[in-house]
Amino acid sequence: MIRISRYILVLVTTLALSAVVPQMWWMAFDTPIRKPIVLYSCVENDFLIQRTGDKIVREDTRGNTYTREEYEERLPLFFMRQLMISGTMKDTINGVAMDVHEINMNRTFFNYQPTDLNTPDPGLWPLFESESGRANLEMPEDFFRITWRLEFINAKGNQISEEKSRKFSAALYNRGFEFPALMVAGIPTTRKSCDEGYFILDSHHQLFHLKMIKGEPYVKKAELPGEIRFSHIACVDFKDKKFYAYLFDNKGDIYILTQDEYELVKLPVGNFHPEKEELRIYGDIFHYNVIIGGNGFVRDVVLDKEYRKITEFNETWPVRSETNIGRWFAGLFPFQLSLSDDNSNYHNFYFSFSKGFIWLIVSVLLVIVQIVLIRKRGKLMGHVVDLALILATGIFGFIAVNIFQNKFFK
Amino acid sequence: MFKGIIFKEWIKLRWFLVIYAVFALLDLGYIFLKVRHDIIFNEANSYWYGVLFMGHQYFRFLKYIPLAGGIVVAVAQFFPETVNKRIKLTFHLPRKEDAMLLTMTGYGATCLLVVYLLVFGLFLLLSALFFPAEITSAAALSLTPWFLAGMAAYFLGALIILEPVWLYRFLYLVAAGAFVPFFLKAGVSGSYAPLLVPLAILVALLSISLLFSGYRFRKGEM
Repeated sequence: MIRISRYILVLVTTLALSAVVPQMWWMAFDTPIRKPIVLYSCVENDFLIQRTGDKIVREDTRGNTYTREEYEERLPLFFMRQLMISGTMKDTINGVAMDVHEINMNRTFFNYQPTDLNTPDPGLWPLFESESGRANLEMPEDFFRITWRLEFINAKGNQISEEKSRKFSAALYNRGFEFPALMVAGIPTTRKSCDEGYFILDSHHQLFHLKMIKGEPYVKKAELPGEIRFSHIACVDFKDKKFYAYLFDNKGDIYILTQDEYELVKLPVGNFHPEKEELRIYGDIFHYNVIIGGNGFVRDVVLDKEYRKITEFNETWPVRSETNIGRWFAGLFPFQLSLSDDNSNYHNFYFSFSKGFIWLIVSVLLVIVQIVLIRKRGKLMGHVVDLALILATGIFGFIAVNIFQNKFFK
Repeated sequence: MFKGIIFKEWIKLRWFLVIYAVFALLDLGYIFLKVRHDIIFNEANSYWYGVLFMGHQYFRFLKYIPLAGGIVVAVAQFFPETVNKRIKLTFHLPRKEDAMLLTMTGYGATCLLVVYLLVFGLFLLLSALFFPAEITSAAALSLTPWFLAGMAAYFLGALIILEPVWLYRFLYLVAAGAFVPFFLKAGVSGSYAPLLVPLAILVALLSISLLFSGYRFRKGEM
């Protein structure tokens, strides 16, 4: 029992050290990996890449470099405000007159992070009145949940609004909704141009649109082509009102759902992994600039306004484990433990194992040091578990077994 | 004799437990007084919205209360045993030394658990008065690792206090200082959901950790 208590302490300490020591290492030696900023120039019909570092370099894919002003002039729809202040905004681009209202109406910014997907579900959402006749949206008194029915809970008094719950549940049921819901997606804020309610996936993966119009439910079922399993739906509030949302499926495709027609359009941008990759989509009067970024790469796909692919840019760079400091780390430590992950809002034991087996040299050296240290303490057989632990966990296990010393054979 | 040991532990712990429980309940009272006040002044729907979508954690004032409880109970129970090495008297009783130590930690952990359950239960009850199940359950998921931190601090605190050698006492403290933050990471409500079972298992395993320093104490490690 005493020996077991020691092994438990060694295990806990090894775990703790495998989290703390690497954290200290990276805090001391880590260097920033500067990702390039890639944008498509509608003037040059080429990608412009801005690289930060000791010196900021702005270049295109043909190797031409640009000053800051030249760079901004080649991205006129991105830096419109600056160009107007500088007086260098062009009157026409590609034969199209530059009308500020038109530019603003077509300008869209969308930013997705993996933490938008890997995060606890709030479970309750406010259903706004979509046509209140008021200039601003107002926060409703109640929030809804979806279980075996749709329930509204009034915040004042924490009570279920029975009548409203029945009315909205019946509306969903009559449109073929199969309770419960797999996903509820919307923009739960009053700070948007108008309300388009929520998109809800039912238990049979059918997609429904739910709104409240003058207190009454509005339910529309979106007809999906074939068997599509959505992993995430990100609703948008763009001025051009062309589509409701970007939708990601479990095969790595990105779709949009068009406004009013509920037509699903697949974007030809290649594979996207929403659980670990970022996505930014910038739209202007000419193009959609779809930028997918992951660990060590960026892919920028340019689409025209009909969502057809025009061109693509790819770049990769060494990830942290491939830098000199990363290689040193992999040589010294077999793994590291973190309780947080940049791609998730959940805490968990996130182990990342070092590439290669150079760390085994350090582990073997530590095993030899340990044998020297314990040679007077008794037979080696009594320390086999400790030695195996050091071999597997390197310096973490070595420190742990020496904090909680194995002295039972004295 | 078992009753005698329990009584001895109770004598050591009673006032600390009562004062700690009162302090924890006062903290709980403050949390829900503040919730009530904020709901009256900001409207319930705005308050719910803040909790659901703006990351407002109304229960955040409880974060270090269980940890403090674990340390207080460990110190109250085991520090007196180290003064003049009184625990040796216990070891001379006609009962297995390990069983004696496990009885002591078992009793301390049970007392702590009772206070924790009281605080946790009252929290759930009061939270359910103001909030729906979704908000209360997310809060409970966030609170649980804090209470597990308290239990871990108790077991590790007992281990550190009973360790006879100051150098190792310091090293154990460093190990505990590296491990206990596992339970206290900042995050959105419910972020600890995937980690609760592994952490609970580790804490349960730690419940026998006192045996190690008890053994070293008995063997006269200097």
